[in-house]
Amino acid sequence: MKESSRASSILHHASSIVHRPSSIVHRASSIIHRALCIVHCALILCIVHHASCIKIQAQRLHRLPNVTVTAKRPMKDIGVQKTTFDSLALKENIALSMADVLTFNSSVFVKNYGRATLSTVAFRGTSPSHTQVTWNGMRINNPMLGMTDFSTIPSYFIDQASLMHGTSSVNETGGGLGGLVRLGTLPDVADGFNAQYVQGIGSFKTFDEFARFTYGNDHWQLSTRAVYSASPNDYKYVNHDKKINIYDDDHNIIGQYHPTERNRSGSFKDLHILQEIYYNTLKGDRFGINAWYINSNRELPMLTTDYGDERGFENRQREQTFRGLLSWDHTRSTWRTGLKGGYIHSWVAYDYRREVSEGNWAAMTRSRSKVNTIYGQAEGEYTPNKKWYFTANISAHQHFVRSEDKNIILQEGDKAIVGYDKGRIELSGSASAKWQPVDRLGLSLVLREDMFGNEWAPVIPAFFIDGVVSRTGNVVLKASISRNYRFPSLNDLYFLPGGNPDLKNEHGFTYDVGVSFSTGKAGVFSIGGSATWFDSHIEDWIIWLPTPKGFFSPRNVKKVHAYGIEAKADLGIQLPQGWFFDLNGSYSWTPSINEGDKLSPADQSVGKQLPYVPGHSASLTGRLSWRTWSLLYKWCYYSERFTMSSNDYTLTGHLPTYFMNNVSIENLLSFRPADISLKLAVNNLFNEDYLSVLARPMPGINFEFFIGITPKFCKKEKSSDGINY
Amino acid sequence: MSRNLLYVVLILSLMSTSCMKWDYGDDMEDFDASGAGLFITNEGNFQYGNATLSYYDPSTNTVQNEVFFRANGMKLGDTAQSMCVYGDKGWIVVNNSHVIFAIDLNTFKEVGRIENLPSPRYIHFVNDEKAYVTQIWDNRIFVVNPKTYSITGQIEVPGMTMESGSTEQMVQYGKYVFCNCWSYQNRIIKIDTEIDRVVGELTVGIQPTSLVIDKYDRMWTVTDGGYEGSPYGYEAPALFCIDAATFKIEKQFKFRLNDTPSEIQLNGTRDTLYWINRDIWRMDVTAERIPVRPFLEYRDTKYYGLTVNPANSEVYVADAIDYQQQGIIYRYTPQGQMIDEFYVGITPGAFCWK
Repeated sequence: MKESSRASSILHHASSIVHRPSSIVHRASSIIHRALCIVHCALILCIVHHASCIKIQAQRLHRLPNVTVTAKRPMKDIGVQKTTFDSLALKENIALSMADVLTFNSSVFVKNYGRATLSTVAFRGTSPSHTQVTWNGMRINNPMLGMTDFSTIPSYFIDQASLMHGTSSVNETGGGLGGLVRLGTLPDVADGFNAQYVQGIGSFKTFDEFARFTYGNDHWQLSTRAVYSASPNDYKYVNHDKKINIYDDDHNIIGQYHPTERNRSGSFKDLHILQEIYYNTLKGDRFGINAWYINSNRELPMLTTDYGDERGFENRQREQTFRGLLSWDHTRSTWRTGLKGGYIHSWVAYDYRREVSEGNWAAMTRSRSKVNTIYGQAEGEYTPNKKWYFTANISAHQHFVRSEDKNIILQEGDKAIVGYDKGRIELSGSASAKWQPVDRLGLSLVLREDMFGNEWAPVIPAFFIDGVVSRTGNVVLKASISRNYRFPSLNDLYFLPGGNPDLKNEHGFTYDVGVSFSTGKAGVFSIGGSATWFDSHIEDWIIWLPTPKGFFSPRNVKKVHAYGIEAKADLGIQLPQGWFFDLNGSYSWTPSINEGDKLSPADQSVGKQLPYVPGHSASLTGRLSWRTWSLLYKWCYYSERFTMSSNDYTLTGHLPTYFMNNVSIENLLSFRPADISLKLAVNNLFNEDYLSVLARPMPGINFEFFIGITPKFCKKEKSSDGINY
Repeated sequence: MSRNLLYVVLILSLMSTSCMKWDYGDDMEDFDASGAGLFITNEGNFQYGNATLSYYDPSTNTVQNEVFFRANGMKLGDTAQSMCVYGDKGWIVVNNSHVIFAIDLNTFKEVGRIENLPSPRYIHFVNDEKAYVTQIWDNRIFVVNPKTYSITGQIEVPGMTMESGSTEQMVQYGKYVFCNCWSYQNRIIKIDTEIDRVVGELTVGIQPTSLVIDKYDRMWTVTDGGYEGSPYGYEAPALFCIDAATFKIEKQFKFRLNDTPSEIQLNGTRDTLYWINRDIWRMDVTAERIPVRPFLEYRDTKYYGLTVNPANSEVYVADAIDYQQQGIIYRYTPQGQMIDEFYVGITPGAFCWK
């Protein structure tokens, strides 16, 4: 490397999201942790006290979705390719992040650098920075990197999640050349005061705790959630990448073996708190406050090829992020308006320290970044009659970024910081008209305009059409087409060294055509599915390349043609004697081909699949339930991934086909004072010995046991989703 | 009930058939590469642990890739920075694996390793029992014993913090070892090998990238001038000629501001300099001016590495292409005619002659 190490700061920012709390925050998290434990103990004592209570069999609610064969579809979703996750997937267990949910419930590619380590999501053969992410409407992509780490989003904090594939993302935001992950929370809480506490104890001394307190009445809905996860994360694995030498007395090697090592420097402590307050006037107005605080302290695990002594250094990333949102929705019979205002503060610290002498630690890298984002959005919808539906939306994100990457000594002896301090306004506005001239046909036109800094992107047009071709089976054809643009991230433009202010926007053209169906028999079975062909061309793809000066710098170099098929299917069967079975599957075929010019006469990458983009990916989730019991089986597959742009099969550069199997079994018990859920989750069921990314070890079979307690406060129950967690 | 169980069994059967099949490359090959040859260290991609070692036999025009992996059944590591030959061993410095491997020059099998180095860049042998290892992001040069493969001491470099520390290539003149300090640095330091201390320093330009010593005991370094926006400064790069005995600058040749010179090399007789500055350049060490025309012209790519065969002055140039695929090496006669080309590993950055 000329100075590949310098790129580490970028990578570490990217791979960020580990934390060590500052003393105050650490204390806060400890107090919360202790409080959760006290609540837990109190609840258990309460249950023991009521041991004589009559056990009531809790009946799990298994409902087949209503299969209504109708040509009337939501006008908002005309022609939209969307994957929606149900709450069973989101609330499967408290240890899961959104990265886990997406891995096993969709066919998007989740690049996972390890357990509780950076996880990025890419659609349709694009890169993670081409995936836009919103939380309750506010974009939460890191403006420095352009991407989002899904390992830091606990799925228990998300009440509704959906993927908007390709063109469909233009309905919500610009820049989603691959698509949009839309995350949100819901104001629905049960009436009165309710509480829920879940604790998970798992392999590698993993502790997960979740508590939720809600209060609801006709006007007010209040919800407080907290998740705390911690683990030394020191799982064992056989390190096939290196060997330990056996020496004789003369220091000659007389034997070698692959060591069984532990995941070194991999601990994590993550705390999330989410407070929500909603007020509904019952006259068409609703006000909301959402506040999400994250305190994350993660070590960055050592590579399998690292011969350093973990006791002699610290490689750690800390993050404190606050996301706050105020919202007002005003709904009338034919129109609706909404206003949102938000603020995001994110502080990320990366420290690489060495022990230079006993107890004396020195920083080799000490980088800090602060991001402050002010957000505002106004939107309106108007439905003059049942054939027309209009929407308009304008949003602004003002980012202020201060990045301090390195402390240096100047030639004159003074000290200085290498970094940048920049701001950028990002405006996005859209207007759409949706028309359903007849029940069977829907058309939608969306025009979007984005401005970043002082640069306007050309107008983004998107057109959608769908139509019911058969009422039998509710067969619907869908198609959409659009252009799209993605502005460079702030690191792309300003990072020192290497930022390139002359970068052009990445821009793409995409279309898709699909068919979906759904049918079934009420109370017996339901079946549905869809298949979509997509085709997109992305030009001026930005990649970071080393420069002759030894650092990396981004350039617009690639032209990529990504195309393929996405398919989904679901099946639900109500079996006799209280059995219920449902199956959800997804599959993607995503060739993502470099069609750019050769970088040199010897370039062998043109016409090849992009590195780390699987050609095929699939997931399957099967659930078998009987009365209070539930068995869940999850399976995920990625085809081989090339680690080289030339798609070579080398010993050091190729990841074989990936399969992962997880299973969990759960039982619900109902006592007079509380409902209890007991769950055992087994991950990596077949104890696969594998890597997800080169040099990043993954854990073998591991277990986690969860106990959930939902006390009853003698209230009438109105579960928002009918699910016992 | 039995039908339900059947569903479960069917699904479990489907899942259990889908296990991952990994080829860890555990098989070890026997090589016998006697005679002269060229090692190429391929850095790989930072934090992906895919550095490799290639070996080229100029007499047969044949290359063997991933030879360390194939000979030892394990990976070389993350970011192979440099390699040198001392005695009958090759010493490969693998920066982000914090290790230096010693290998047999003919079989490529490991014979020892020095572990737990913070961020090693280059190794220079003072004698059979002492070598220096330079570092980046560290203000220390480590003293190691190659016989015992152990760290025996360290040399603190004044005027550097850990965070801004950078020591690079080393050359020796008498009992003194000289070293260029590169990242956010501007000097050459002088180390007394008898006391293992820095005893002098010479300010050159911003970020001297490499260092050689010619047949007249004059050191040559080329600076890269920093980069635009750097708080450390940004200036036109320059080639410096330094008298090793007096430790003073004898000559200085300025480049243009946006030039990117690097990889200064000497031929076998140490009377001709070579370097990369978009093209490949060549200059007699006694010349008073930089040549007007390059030795080898730019080939629509970025040259990343350079070496000259000490036996016959043939020139080898590494092209990393997009840094995500096998790089290519071009071999030229001393007159500049290409006589061979061969693919190696990802990001070929350094060479070592056997």
